[in-house]
Amino acid sequence: MGAKLESITITINGEPKTFTVDRSETLLETLRRASYFGVKNGCKSGDCGACTVLLDGQPIHSCMTPAVRANGCSVLTVEGLSQGGKLHPLQQAFIDCGAAQCGYCTPGKLLTAKALLERNPDPTEAEIREALSGVLCRCTGYVKIIQAVRRAAAVLRGEEVPPFGPVHVILPADASPAQATEHYLERTHSGELLGPLVITPPEMPQLCVVGQPEAKVDGVKLVSGRPAFTDDIRVEGLLYGELLTSPYAHARIKRIDATRARALPGVHAVLTHEDLPRIKYATGGQSYPNPPPLDQVSLDSKVRHVGDRVAIAAAETPELARQALRLLQIEWEILPHVLDPEEAMRDGAPVIHDETDTEGIYDAARNIVHHIEAEGGDRAAQWARADHVFEGVYRTPQQQQCHIEPHVCITYWDENRRLVVRTSTQVPFHVRRMLAPLIGLPAKQIRVIKPRIGGGFGNKQEMLLEDLCAHLTLATGRPVRMEYSRQQEFTSSRSRHPQIQRYKIGVTDDMEIVAIELYLIGDTCAYGTHGLTVQMVGGQKALTLYNAPYSRFVCDVVYTNKPTPGAFRGYGAMQCYFGLETLINEIAGQMGWDVVEFKRRNWIKMGDELLIAKALGEGREGFEQQIRSTGLEQCVQAGIAATDWYEKRARNADGRGSLTEPTMPRSDILEPGETGATRLGQGGHIGPIRRGIGMAVMLHGSGIAGLDMAAATIKMNDDGSFNLLVGATDLGTGSDTILGQMAAEVLGVPLDDIVVYSSDTDFTPFDKGAYASSTTYISGGAVRRTALAVADQIKKHAAAMLGLESTEGMDLRDRQVFAADGRSLRLETVALSSLHQLDQHQIAATESNLSYECPPPFAAQFVEAAVDTETGQVTVERIVMAVDCGRVINPITASGQVEGGLQQVLGFAHCEEMLYDEQGRMVNPRFGPYHVYKANEMPQLDVIFVQTEEPSGPFGAKSVSEIPMDGFAPALADAIHDATGVWLHNLPFTPEKVWRALHDRVL
Amino acid sequence: MTETGPEPGAALAGYWEIHCDATLQALVDGPTCPDLFRRTLTGYLSWHVRNRTTIERVLTTPSTAVAWFAAILALGAEVRVEGQGEVPVDAFLERRIKGRLEALHIPLPRPGAVPLEGVAWGEARVARTHSDEPIVSAVAVVEGGEPVVIRARLALTGACSRPAGLAKAAAHLVGNPLTLDTIRDVATAVEAEVMPKGDFLGSTEYRRAMAGVMARRALEECLAGHNTETGTGCAAHGSSTREGGHGR
Repeated sequence: MGAKLESITITINGEPKTFTVDRSETLLETLRRASYFGVKNGCKSGDCGACTVLLDGQPIHSCMTPAVRANGCSVLTVEGLSQGGKLHPLQQAFIDCGAAQCGYCTPGKLLTAKALLERNPDPTEAEIREALSGVLCRCTGYVKIIQAVRRAAAVLRGEEVPPFGPVHVILPADASPAQATEHYLERTHSGELLGPLVITPPEMPQLCVVGQPEAKVDGVKLVSGRPAFTDDIRVEGLLYGELLTSPYAHARIKRIDATRARALPGVHAVLTHEDLPRIKYATGGQSYPNPPPLDQVSLDSKVRHVGDRVAIAAAETPELARQALRLLQIEWEILPHVLDPEEAMRDGAPVIHDETDTEGIYDAARNIVHHIEAEGGDRAAQWARADHVFEGVYRTPQQQQCHIEPHVCITYWDENRRLVVRTSTQVPFHVRRMLAPLIGLPAKQIRVIKPRIGGGFGNKQEMLLEDLCAHLTLATGRPVRMEYSRQQEFTSSRSRHPQIQRYKIGVTDDMEIVAIELYLIGDTCAYGTHGLTVQMVGGQKALTLYNAPYSRFVCDVVYTNKPTPGAFRGYGAMQCYFGLETLINEIAGQMGWDVVEFKRRNWIKMGDELLIAKALGEGREGFEQQIRSTGLEQCVQAGIAATDWYEKRARNADGRGSLTEPTMPRSDILEPGETGATRLGQGGHIGPIRRGIGMAVMLHGSGIAGLDMAAATIKMNDDGSFNLLVGATDLGTGSDTILGQMAAEVLGVPLDDIVVYSSDTDFTPFDKGAYASSTTYISGGAVRRTALAVADQIKKHAAAMLGLESTEGMDLRDRQVFAADGRSLRLETVALSSLHQLDQHQIAATESNLSYECPPPFAAQFVEAAVDTETGQVTVERIVMAVDCGRVINPITASGQVEGGLQQVLGFAHCEEMLYDEQGRMVNPRFGPYHVYKANEMPQLDVIFVQTEEPSGPFGAKSVSEIPMDGFAPALADAIHDATGVWLHNLPFTPEKVWRALHDRVL
Repeated sequence: MTETGPEPGAALAGYWEIHCDATLQALVDGPTCPDLFRRTLTGYLSWHVRNRTTIERVLTTPSTAVAWFAAILALGAEVRVEGQGEVPVDAFLERRIKGRLEALHIPLPRPGAVPLEGVAWGEARVARTHSDEPIVSAVAVVEGGEPVVIRARLALTGACSRPAGLAKAAAHLVGNPLTLDTIRDVATAVEAEVMPKGDFLGSTEYRRAMAGVMARRALEECLAGHNTETGTGCAAHGSSTREGGHGR
């Protein structure tokens, strides 16, 4: 290698350690090589902060710090935070407040907070946010992290802190939540540290474990930086795999010569399309059979976007593998490319999938992958009823998931010559099934292990690295590790489908929506994965919210030469809601209607059937659906009360933008003798800043009806505890915890007595994986059934022990089983008896759950924003979200899901967009230029839950993970209009876009 | 104290000297750090980035702390290059001077003064969010103003191929009172003087328009008189309405 090596000594967590390092080695690499796995890799460009350590007490990005720079210094990693086995108050506060979701950024947050509190023991919220702005989080919205730091600061100052939890209010479903909401917000806005407001109907029984703010079962390991993630492992004989990607948007590989690459010492394999069988598949992790078309192969002779796969290499070091790939000699035939979906559909456009072995493309010559049509109702009759017809065209961007943990995969042969795939995946069972034919192994010879996942949001509902990594292990016989670089995450993984929506809505004079038509162009870019299902979900959700008597959905899913979208939380619904709710808001404005009343008149109600649900399933025909629970009315009322909606709308309508008070903004200083009144008469406002408020309503789904299935296994241990084995994948959502809570509730034990293990295809039963908002509803249903089966066995054995003929009247609580006659047995006693003494058998059960219902959660979102009318810069100041997700299993994890989702949709609507030059190269493939919201720019987030009881859901629960995504964009558009009088139809609302819209209108 | 010498900033006769191997964080932490520096070094730059970025790094790669670079341009700072003496920062950038950078000199109105005393400054920027990299930012530093401006400097980022001092536009102020009318004249002159390069954050047209708006706002802030470095009454960097101020 010819490397310049140097010996350095660093005191790490109080212990001097000596290393021999290359001068180019980063401190991150050195620390991870020394097994300090709490120091994470997120970007290697100093943008995300996951690699934060304290260097002589100062937070630094270790990925940007040469290891030699740390020579003679002291370094603190998260492993050194706790002392004598006792968690640091910051770590405890993170657990108490639910501040660690996926946990990947948690070490960086903890260490930065520690450094802050050492220099400032009583920081303000703004100071905390400013300090933490160097560590990105994509899961939490930063809310509970800030709360945790404030709590820890108080503890460190010697102050008493009350338990952290939700605020419960009992309220009938037909009662106004206004007073409860206002009282709650008075407390939070005065600085009190509170969890979410949870409004509960009086008939909903309180439970022991379900509904409680239990600490996450994985909390301690996450705040301690224990090696829990895919790459937190030392593997003997590991080789490093690297991926060569295409520099061209559309090209054929005429010739590829790997001779020189393979000859490089230290290189163990180089694979191209010439080395692998041409087996067609689709990368989307979806149920069998995968929706068509199967338009990919592991390595192809044609590339269809910049970043597409070309070749892979495995070598002793990552640098050698990359060097090998650079030695490949490739002769390209560059083909014309097309980046715009409307152009791609025109005659004469370059044909992106011209191969003869892909079936299921609707019209390959016009790049149309799918053409979907569905309708419900009498078209002629309903349009005839319309007194007014409104149309609009809306565009949504391609957004990247930006999970902080990159895709990473390790494959190796175990001692039984089975291939083990250790991978950061949301869909381990789908990966196993999909991988098997590609590598020529039966599924029984493959084991997929999902460790902790550092965020996914749908991007890990794909098979992206697993087949490549496996091919290299098969070729070399050695363990292989592959990881996307951050740039590859942007250019070679997945993202959100950009869409063009054309809506047509007919309304009557008395506010009835009689017809909605949506023509949707979904840009699936280079490959079709998820292309069909995302657009169908979007259409279904958009056309069922108002459930018009007639609705029609026409959709073209189109290929273009850009990096491929896939699954991203929200999954088509949030895109389609942008167009729908914006047009609904526009209609109300043009007709002079109260927009809330207009929506109320038309939104789907209790008992209504979702009229188009059967025609528009997810990739296939759906099932009839009926609304059996809804708290939408109370959600809207809560939001109205929380925001003084009507007062602000009236004020804004008067002035078309509220006045900035109390001081004059410096950007519009009055001349001597001039007064505010004088200026008001001229322009209607003082200063360029105008404020507005907007709102939207939405519904989502809970699982895919008739398709999603989950199973769970529970077995009883000697001490009366239980192992809960689930295939469900916790990607930071807290599903391990809430599933454990459900089991604990049924079995009458505290959560501590449930040991949760997920997800491993050898040891856990099938679960289709974490997507489609299915885990609480479907996986939870399986856990509940399984727990009931185990409870039944416990009762039977206890009855036998007590000499009882029947189990009638028996129940489980407080770690005991109680007979109707008052006698009881400890569960430990029952366990020992069952295992060792009486009719010995293992008390255990496995149950599955499938539902033909898909009960929607509902929500109302209110947004307050300020618009700088001179620059177009929009500042979101506040978001209020009121959610009906049925019974809230854990208010802390559930509110964390809402808050984290809001951070992502802020980006979707406001600043995030994958952008390309004319050659199809992405111009902003880094966190910094791409820009995800940081801690110091988040608006105020207020989360309110309105509980309902969904009869089909476990304990009455519905989903919560995707509903937060759906309404922010149209609510922000509404707020901008309220402020300025301008409707924007094209996301994201970047300064120039807003500026042009404002100046075209000539304010 | 830093490892390499005294505090990052030392007030010497006629100028304030900052060692180039000091980090931006050391500058912010220093007791003599002007509010203008604090404002242009926070928000879009994290604590982590300030800890790793030296003044030398910013001088050679202005994009690492673009708003602060505009501030030192507007202050008329000079850089002392080993063996070459003091070079104005704008000339250092334009001529791509090589050599070891020893210190940054900020000229003071009077010897021994608290840094920047007696001058009014203003700063403005536009970005996607208030903690994002500025698309266009401006810093104005004005001495005098009543009855006339004695000295004025205006620096912009995002409006030319590199951060630039706009001497011609600023010259409109010298010898005139600082009023809204003269400020508007300067803004118009700025729009004529800049040569922006468009990119995905802003087109040429947008950047040119924002150059005028930011220059105007920075000067209006000078006019408002809030930002004079006497240690009191300096404008807070409004990054959140929760703190009572609104982001720019």
